[in-house]
Amino acid sequence: MTVSLRTGNHFTNTVRQTVFILLISVAIGAAVNLIRPDGIPFVETWSMADKLATENGDTMAIPLSEAAALFEKDAAVFLDARTQVEYDQGHIQGAVNLPWHEVDNYFETVIMTLDPEAMTITYCDGEACPLSHDLAMLLKDLGFTRVKVLVNGWTLWKEHDLPVTTQSS
Amino acid sequence: MPQKKLSHDVILTIGYHFTRLAMAGVFIYASIDKIIHPDLFAEAVYNYQVLPGYLVNLTALILPWLELILGFCLLINRWMAGASALATGLMTLFVGLTLFNLARGLDISCGCFSAAPGENPITLLTLVRDISFLILSLGLARLVFVKNTSRQLI
Repeated sequence: MTVSLRTGNHFTNTVRQTVFILLISVAIGAAVNLIRPDGIPFVETWSMADKLATENGDTMAIPLSEAAALFEKDAAVFLDARTQVEYDQGHIQGAVNLPWHEVDNYFETVIMTLDPEAMTITYCDGEACPLSHDLAMLLKDLGFTRVKVLVNGWTLWKEHDLPVTTQSS
Repeated sequence: MPQKKLSHDVILTIGYHFTRLAMAGVFIYASIDKIIHPDLFAEAVYNYQVLPGYLVNLTALILPWLELILGFCLLINRWMAGASALATGLMTLFVGLTLFNLARGLDISCGCFSAAPGENPITLLTLVRDISFLILSLGLARLVFVKNTSRQLI
């Protein structure tokens, strides 16, 4: 067989095998999801707004403008739900660090010191970051009455040049 | 010089099996946690914010199986042309996504080897690791090409 023929064969094989592997993956992925009891819907609406809707139809999300206005008036406590390392690298000025993944360790030092009646705004980073949402739900369960989530808080806050505290400052 | 040719072939053979098994390990290991926790992995996929909402779950359901099956092909040394091409394609995609998110400064979890959100954030180290895997995959695809097109089998 000539080199060009072998090369042609190689590319035909590559395409054929790639398609096979893809088709098998689609078939097994779909079949396993149908069979398993904890399968997920094949198509789902993914939006933070839905997740943050409360039972009475309100939303826990707070727009950046409102959060910034409360910040100006010093009328809200900002809780940073990210890790301590991320918090140390930079956070909303005056925010308190309450890492969701170690929330138990911060119970006495942070949560007990907060006023459950005060306006409390949780944030993390990324449109879909679940940390601030999970933290907000916990605080609500603990009896906090005015908890809001600033979705994608850290990124938005930086983008709008609002006051931050960073490692270098 | 037949002896020189022989040692060259031995090196190619060792390189071929090493990269094949290394990438098999990477893909199979990467798929397990995501297959076990499709809901968490879907969240990781969504966090990347590159796919329209309706494709998030489909991707989360199929991508781990694709990784497992192509990893298995690499492991048993079958369908190597397709598997090595797919491995290269996937690693290119992952490097691209990592670069994209590092550039955006988005703080999300990698979802690379563990589906759990909040763990393993994307860092420069993630990028270096993914680029290394991409180089291995490219090398493997090249060796498969040599193996399939040259007269001598390596």
